[in-house]
Parts: sequence; structure tokens; C-alpha cells
Amino acid sequence: MKITESDVAYVANLASLEVLDTEKSELAEQLSRILDYVEQLNRLDVSGIQPTSQVVTSERHAVRDDRVAPRTGSSEAGKTVRLFAVPKVITER
Amino acid sequence: MNLKNLTADKLALLYRNRDVTVTEVVRNLFQEIDRTDPDVRAFITLSRDRALEDARKQDTLIAAGEPIEPLTGIPVAIKDNIAVRDLPTTCGSKILQNYVPPYSATAVERLRRAGAIVVGKTNLDEFAMGSSTENSGFFPTRNPHDLTRVPGGSSGGSAASVAAGMAVAALGSDTGGSVRQPASFCGVVGVKPTYGRVSRYGLVAFASSLDQIGVLSKSVRDAAQMLEVISGFDHYDSTSADTSVGKLVAGLEHSMKDIRIGVPKEYFISGMDPEVRAKVEAGIRLFQGLGYNIEQISLPHTEYAIATYYIIANAEASSNLARYDGVRYGFRAEATGLQEMYRKTRQAGLGQEVKRRILLGTYALSAGYYEAYYNKALKVRTLILRDFQKAYETVDLILTPTTPTVAFKIGENVSDPLAMYLNDIFTITCNLSGLPGISIPCGRNSAGLPIGLQLMANHFQEGLLLRAAHQFEKAGGFNI
Repeated sequence: MKITESDVAYVANLASLEVLDTEKSELAEQLSRILDYVEQLNRLDVSGIQPTSQVVTSERHAVRDDRVAPRTGSSEAGKTVRLFAVPKVITER
Repeated sequence: MNLKNLTADKLALLYRNRDVTVTEVVRNLFQEIDRTDPDVRAFITLSRDRALEDARKQDTLIAAGEPIEPLTGIPVAIKDNIAVRDLPTTCGSKILQNYVPPYSATAVERLRRAGAIVVGKTNLDEFAMGSSTENSGFFPTRNPHDLTRVPGGSSGGSAASVAAGMAVAALGSDTGGSVRQPASFCGVVGVKPTYGRVSRYGLVAFASSLDQIGVLSKSVRDAAQMLEVISGFDHYDSTSADTSVGKLVAGLEHSMKDIRIGVPKEYFISGMDPEVRAKVEAGIRLFQGLGYNIEQISLPHTEYAIATYYIIANAEASSNLARYDGVRYGFRAEATGLQEMYRKTRQAGLGQEVKRRILLGTYALSAGYYEAYYNKALKVRTLILRDFQKAYETVDLILTPTTPTVAFKIGENVSDPLAMYLNDIFTITCNLSGLPGISIPCGRNSAGLPIGLQLMANHFQEGLLLRAAHQFEKAGGFNI
């Protein structure tokens, strides 16, 4: 799969990453090589195979009783400088 | 006092006999760190004052006649992507340089409750993305056996700290081999438990379906002890397993009969270092001599594991790392608007390898490519898992080399990301299948560099895995 510099710019935008013009061609080349390597998966016939997004090993289900358990509260967390202090993030149009 | 070869069980004996105090041991350890770490650079943050304070507390408890537990006063190092309350958790990244978590990871909390003493936070490849610790946003760590070589990664600081006697044991994290590969390169024991065995609460997420906290130590017994303490269900991690780990240490000496070890032919590839192959094959003969039955097996989808892994791991990473946007954590770049702040923060705060992986992961999840890359990789993951399920119908354990080579030179693989990825070829299948695996020393090459052998077991079979590794260790005597 050939990744172009404009592909890099497109994906960088999706990921909120700033890619410098000087980095684009090297990144395009490296990503192309990695995707070329990944192409080998196409040799496999996976029709009818279920995807595995997580190897489920736990017997207990994620749903539990809705009970309050002790944990670090916001008053504790607030001791860490700037942790919840955010700047003005609304931009006027 | 020579700390270099001191294991936790030997140290516990010294405490029980009142031969040393915890304070003496911790002071001694920091002297060793002062001597050695300027060269090795295993630590990002040291916790000298708090460690000494904790040591004095333990000494007071011991003097008052409190029982000395197996981890009482044992100095441990923690990989810097695992939260320790009031110490920075940087993940080796500039973007988290000033982040101080107000809580500890469950695994750390359990170690401290068992009496262990945290000496510091260890270096890693940024966000655990790498196999050499060269990708740290701060500085590379060096291999204590040869300072011109890498310690492996991403838990390179943890492995190097244990190998150099700067910690008795350490926690690492293993997403594709990040505990076992550096253990192999540094000549120590490294165990990655079954997915879900250890709570991931407080472990900074890289690839959530693959990440697992593991242990690095000087002996299998110490690994078993640490694992016994940190394992178990945790309300804060809904993927943690509600399956008892049992008495791992007590189980080490149980005798075993008719244990079958499978040796997959796909793991003895042509590009392998001949000295590594020779030592691993000698290890197979050693197991045979101990009465284990050795069988050739096949895991036919092995060759697809790296491609599968780098799609899944990076897709998950691109999603997990979206949270580092300058709003909630650590570093924030100056900007006039929101989008610009996100971009500038991530540009300045994230390293090249991390950006490369986010781009690859985002690409694999983007419209038009999701089916072709991400979903395809998830299906191949099923095939890899089935290979193992089939193998475990006829064998109890699987034996492979941990890595194709010994520790490589610093700088040797930096310019070629793909060559670096190929380093994980023998370790990533464990993560894709959620299986437990361990790397144990099995000798050295002609230059004196350590070589590791990997054992894998079926889900939740850590007892069997550690017992076999312990027998091998006792018979072989390869440990530092």
C-alpha cells in the first residue's frame, strides 16, 4: 500500500497531530513499508472467522451492583497542581 | 553487603535472623544506585526519602514483633507507566513530564501493603512503545552487562535495575513482550501473567486488550512471590479475572509427572542467532533430562503475528492516546484556539515513534480501511488463538526462544522501525492470545551476553508455568 504525503496529512488531521512538511515524506515512506509488510494478512482466507477484540478470560461480568465504593475523590485529585484546572477552550467564531 | 545477587527470599531470611535492618538495606541500595545508575540510567525518578521513611517504619514494626512477611522490606522498582501516588508518572514522555497521580495502581498498592518498598520509577520506551528503551522521551537506558548495548524494552529500566542490583525485583508491563524481551537481554526472570490476572488499574493504557502488568526478578521464586501478591480481581478493572492464583510459591516444589512440552517449529527460524539457538536447544535437552516429554508441534499462523499485532496494538493506542491533548494532563502548548492547542501540544509532547504509531493506528481505523486492516487483524487474531487452543490439547507447556538475538547495540535498529518490530516475533503471540509466558536465563553467548528461553502455558496455568521454570532454574544455574 503506497501512502502519499497527502494521506499522511489527512490521517494526521484525524489524529490531531501536527506533522511538519519536512517529516511528511519520511513518514509516508515508513508507513508504506509497514503497510506493505501487513499486506501478508491478505494471503489468509478469513471468511467465516469471528473477530477477537478481547480474549475474555474473566468469569465475572462487567456489570455489577451499583454500590458506592471508596476511591480517590476529587478533593484528593485537586491537590495535584492544574489537574482539573483547564484553560478557556471555547473559541469564538 | 552484596545486593547484586540478593533475592527477596534470601533477604527475608536475613530480616528474620535480625542480621540486617530494612534501613541498612535501603541505604545500601541507594549507594549502589549512586554508583551504578549514572552509567546505566535505569531510573527516571528516585524515591529516596520516602523509601527510607518506609524502611524505618518497617524496622519499627519488626522491632515490635510484627511478623516478617515474604515481601517485608523488599526494595522494588516500578516502571514509569504504573502509577505510584505522589511520584511522577511520566510514561517516558514529555507530554506527562509533570504528571503526579493522586493514587497508586492496584498492583503497587498490594505490594506496599505486603511491605515492599518502592525505590523509584524506571525508564521505558515512550508509552511502552519500543523494544530497546531508546524511544524514551528523556534518555536511553544501557544494558548493565555491556553499556554499549540496549537493555531491551519497553521495560528496559526495570530489567536493568534488577540486573544491576539497584532493585531486588521490579514491575513492568508487557503488551508485546515488554517484560520478557528485556528480561532476556538483561539475564533476569520476566513473567507476563494471563490477561486479566493482574489488575490494570493505574497502568497507563497503551493497547488495552493486550496490556498486562508483569514482574522482573532474579529468581523464579521471587517472581512467583510478587505475582502471588499482585494478582486477583479488582473492582477498578472490570477485565481483571475472578480466578484465584493459588499458592504459587508453595507450589514451586510440588513434583510433576508426565508434563509435555511442545516445541513449535515456526519459532526456530533461519535468521536466528546460532548461539541463541544452541543455548535454547541445550535448554530443551535439560528439560528432557528432568523427565519432561518434548514434542514437536506446529503453530501455523505464527508468521502473521507481527502484522496482526501492529495493526491491533496501534489501533488501540491511537484511541487511548487521544486523551493527551493538553487539557487534562501534564504538558500544554500555548495556542489561540482549541484545535491548535491540541495539535501543538501533541506535536511538542509526543515523540516520533509514538506519532508514527498513532498515525498507523488511525489509518487502520479510518473509513475505507477499517475492514481491510483492523477487522482483518482481529480475525487473524482468532486464528492465532485457535493455534494455541489446539496445541494445548496435546501439550502442557510451549517452549521457544524469547528473542531471535542477544541484546543489540545502541542505535543499531533506530532508523528502521520494521526491523525493531521484528524483535518481538516470539513474544507477541502470548499477548494476542492472552496467555501467560515467562523468560528465564538459559546461558550466555561467547561475549558473555545473556540468552533467554521462553515458556508459555494455557490461560491461568501460572502455577505449572512457574513450577517448570523453577525446576529448570535449579538444575541449570544460569541466573546472575
